Amino acid sequence: MMSIPLRDKLSATLLEVNNLQVNFETVDRKIEVLKDISIRIERGEVVGVVGESGSGKSTLAQAIIGVLDVPPAKINEGSIQFEGKDIFPKSDKNNNFRGKGINMIFQEPLTSLNPVYSVHDQMEEAINIGNPALKKKDKEEIIRKTLSEVMIRDVEGILNVYPHQLSGGMRQRVSIAMVLIQKPNLLILDEPTTGLDLIVQRKIIGLILNLKQTISSSILLITHDLAVAANMCDRIYVMYAGRVVESGRMSDILNNPQHPYTTMLKNSVPEGYMDEGPLKVSAGAPPDLRDLPPGCAFHTRCPFVMDRCKKDIPILKQVKGEREVACWLYE
Amino acid sequence: MNEPLLEVENLTIQFRVKTKLLQGGQSTDKWKRVLNSISISINEGETFGIVGETGSGKTTLARALVGIHKPKNCTIKINGKKIDSRKRDDLLLLRRKIGIVFQDPVGSLNPRLTVSDIILEGLPTDKKLSNEEREGKVKEVAKYVELPESKLESYPPELSGGEKQRVSLARTIIGGKKILILDEPTSSLDVSIQAQILNLLIRLKKELSVGYIFITHDLNVIKYMCDRVAVLYYGEILEQNTAFELFEHPKHPYSEDLIGANFSLSGTNLSTTGHESGEPSKEGCVYKNSCPKRFVACDEDPPILNLGKGQVKCWLYDERYKSVSTKKNTI
Repeated sequence: MMSIPLRDKLSATLLEVNNLQVNFETVDRKIEVLKDISIRIERGEVVGVVGESGSGKSTLAQAIIGVLDVPPAKINEGSIQFEGKDIFPKSDKNNNFRGKGINMIFQEPLTSLNPVYSVHDQMEEAINIGNPALKKKDKEEIIRKTLSEVMIRDVEGILNVYPHQLSGGMRQRVSIAMVLIQKPNLLILDEPTTGLDLIVQRKIIGLILNLKQTISSSILLITHDLAVAANMCDRIYVMYAGRVVESGRMSDILNNPQHPYTTMLKNSVPEGYMDEGPLKVSAGAPPDLRDLPPGCAFHTRCPFVMDRCKKDIPILKQVKGEREVACWLYE
Repeated sequence: MNEPLLEVENLTIQFRVKTKLLQGGQSTDKWKRVLNSISISINEGETFGIVGETGSGKTTLARALVGIHKPKNCTIKINGKKIDSRKRDDLLLLRRKIGIVFQDPVGSLNPRLTVSDIILEGLPTDKKLSNEEREGKVKEVAKYVELPESKLESYPPELSGGEKQRVSLARTIIGGKKILILDEPTSSLDVSIQAQILNLLIRLKKELSVGYIFITHDLNVIKYMCDRVAVLYYGEILEQNTAFELFEHPKHPYSEDLIGANFSLSGTNLSTTGHESGEPSKEGCVYKNSCPKRFVACDEDPPILNLGKGQVKCWLYDERYKSVSTKKNTI
């Protein structure tokens, strides 16, 4: 086990994922999607998981909240502990962490909202999950109050509207409002603002961070956008081809990325004008999980590749403080 | 000064929206204005950026420039020669000079053709070339766009997203086109692949002295890639300026809001989540319903004012209202 001083205060840790291993198995092949993932979220913390497509970040979120399709997914090893309780392996009895405990906002609200329910009915459904015994009048009051909390101006006008009639930003607000009713202790955001316009994106993120204060929950942000993570997260985990390659404080990682992949990710975001020279990225693409190179999965693109990288898979090692890196350069 | 390579004046596009049957009553045609008197000019070897949110008309503008939409009453000039995109000969000339790379590489590459056949589609048909010469040409452009020769006999579904975009690029540069319209060329790609494509575009621009019209919603990319930028909102160009001027000293309130909302690695001020925004206005200034600096004059359509190297469409910079703008700015 890792020796982290904060672990002494057991109650401070909200979620702990230990050595999680997820495969997608079909009749003729087995794809390892998550390999030996360990992450930890403290109370009140905003933690980011950053990675490109195929890194397994969404699978991780789905495994935590327990919506992974089994089969084809198969969880081989590992444990997930939420508020000190094992929520995995999932059985129907201890399945009630969803909603009040952990809740999730998906990337595309159009598919996560029910198209045949009006906004009012969606909201009522969210109340009924937690508080079915409430009086009708109280429910109505809660619905209106929550919708106005997510900065929807015309609350009465929106109540009888269906999801497809709303704009992207409004839809995302409604899904945030539904989560807000439950006041979850852990909120998982899976690419919450991808596909939204810039000004709307900024407002939604501001809104989420404000609400986090009011309902005092922790956030797990899944994103491909390092710039969004930089503005939201306290700590991040960088994932590549199903493994965590680097983790630590957001500011430390931005100022001094240690894993060559993190460096490349940071350099990929254009920051200035063109006269500042070309972007420092190496050739190649994120690997196909069906056909991973031996050794470190990043070695085919790494500018510092050594012989060892082609043979052995580096293990996540603590370098300094909370900082962990999986790279032979730091051996 | 040289004559601009491409000049567009007074481009207006309206789409007809039929409302009948379900709404009941008589069949009435409504016109939805998508672009409103757009005037832009691009010089040789220049990168001209067009930035805007969803529904601002970016893609329609791109399609009009290659003659997919054929607007009336608008002047398009290539090297000073007037083009009527509804005449076949003129359209051919236009298409010979201007190429387009679409946002979605899956939809724009024929899945039944091999990569080399797709690239050959971009070669003008009147060039009498032997098969060997054609093959040589394909190999030459493939080298330019860093596409491995082994991929030339593959079919599009076998390629990764970045490779597909390289094929689209190769198809446009093989005919010796002078202007490439890039409609969100990187928004479906991973960040590290996006960076590779951006580097490639910069190199191509230097080596082949092509000009780009770069259409995107990503401000970091626009800032990095473009010489001059136009800000599009609801079919109107609200501000046009050099990239440096626009990003360092935005003039129009919308540009200010947009640039203020951009996420950067170095941190964004999230505490000011911005003001309320409303729907685009159909009368007067299009941005007046969201504008924090709105005043009486905004009920009338603002003129396009020249300001230094750029243009801005806002009453705040009109001589008559100078006092208002200075007063508002000091508050």
